[in-house]
Amino acid sequence: MEVTLKIFRYNPESGKKPHYEKYTVEAEPTDRVLDLLEYIKGNFDGTLSFRRSCAHGICGSDAMRINGQNRLACKLLVKDLHGAQITVEPILGLRVIKDLIVDMEPFFENYRSVLPYLINDEPAPKKERLQSPEERERFDDTTKCILCACCTTSCPSFWVNEKYVGPAAIVTAHRFIFDSRDRGAAERLKILSGQFGVYRCHTIFNCTTACPREIEVTQAIGEVKKAIGTGSLE
Amino acid sequence: MSSRPAPQIGFSFEYLMWIFTRISGLVMYLLAFVGLVMAFWMGAHQQVDIGALARWTFFPNPNHVTNTNIPDVTLGWSNAWWQVMEMLIFLFAVTHGMNGVRVIYEDYIGNTWGRALGRGIIFLLWIFLLIVGIYVILAS
Ligand code: SF4
Ligand code: SF4
Ligand code: FES
Repeated sequence: MEVTLKIFRYNPESGKKPHYEKYTVEAEPTDRVLDLLEYIKGNFDGTLSFRRSCAHGICGSDAMRINGQNRLACKLLVKDLHGAQITVEPILGLRVIKDLIVDMEPFFENYRSVLPYLINDEPAPKKERLQSPEERERFDDTTKCILCACCTTSCPSFWVNEKYVGPAAIVTAHRFIFDSRDRGAAERLKILSGQFGVYRCHTIFNCTTACPREIEVTQAIGEVKKAIGTGSLE
Repeated sequence: MSSRPAPQIGFSFEYLMWIFTRISGLVMYLLAFVGLVMAFWMGAHQQVDIGALARWTFFPNPNHVTNTNIPDVTLGWSNAWWQVMEMLIFLFAVTHGMNGVRVIYEDYIGNTWGRALGRGIIFLLWIFLLIVGIYVILAS
């Protein structure tokens, strides 16, 4: 089948304004959007810039807006787009550096602000810090995050203010707050109850829709809100 | 592995206002329900005037319903009761609404003097509306 890709192009060094360019390519229904981008880069225009690494939906580098929705280009098949035109744009809310590449620094700054690592000053046991299967299950969903930023850059609260920590950072905070081996919950909850914490979330659910790992993002945010209110880490 | 210290409940301003928003929403439903039921009980079921009924539900001011056959509620304790009802619903509605304005404003504004300025203006507006509302309730 023949599909036309309408791709956002911007190169600050060219002096040209951001614009869209169209490329028509021959595609299999089972091709991924990433394959088409690679094809265009290889055959039509080598300057087309985008991030990709694993090409298997696990590194989180190729989040982009495809037909208006935040998706991983490597996880989206042409046949699932049901159309002969595919619009590809950079994710929203972050500064575009070139073409589909955005400046992820504000995203990672928010990520770092929630202390995304295990905190436990108690003397380490001989072998390992044990955990029951139930305790592990408690935060299983949020361990799946690949930091692709699909969620945070689909969130209207983040669009208007990049100081909002955003759903991805809250998902990571959740992953540690509810980990029985961790002792930093109080500190993280304090950060998240501030002005740019969980209360900037207005439960719009865009993040849950956007997450390519199918994490129940808004539910995780709700559980963090509940922990702030009740002081319970159940 | 259950020696995990429970975090202290931090009563941050954002948290308290978040809780308040939820509770005041429910309280407003409750107050409106009381107003609605009492309006029916006092006679609205015989003479349904949708406008008066709606006003009685959301702003139970005796002067709103003089044209129905509702007993004269501008007398004595009855009047005091309705004035209190009116003040409560007004207090919750204005506070809920102004807090909503604050939340939207602070979605946009960073942690700078802009936030203090916005909070100041919204606080003054809130006080102003309360004073005007209470004056109207007591004077009518
Ligand atoms: S649920 Fe909250 S975090 Fe998710 S998109 Fe909506 S406002 Fe943003
Ligand atoms: S929660 Fe989902 S959408 Fe958000 S960064 Fe993690 S994997 Fe991506
Ligand atoms: S390239 Fe790694 S997630 Fe798509």
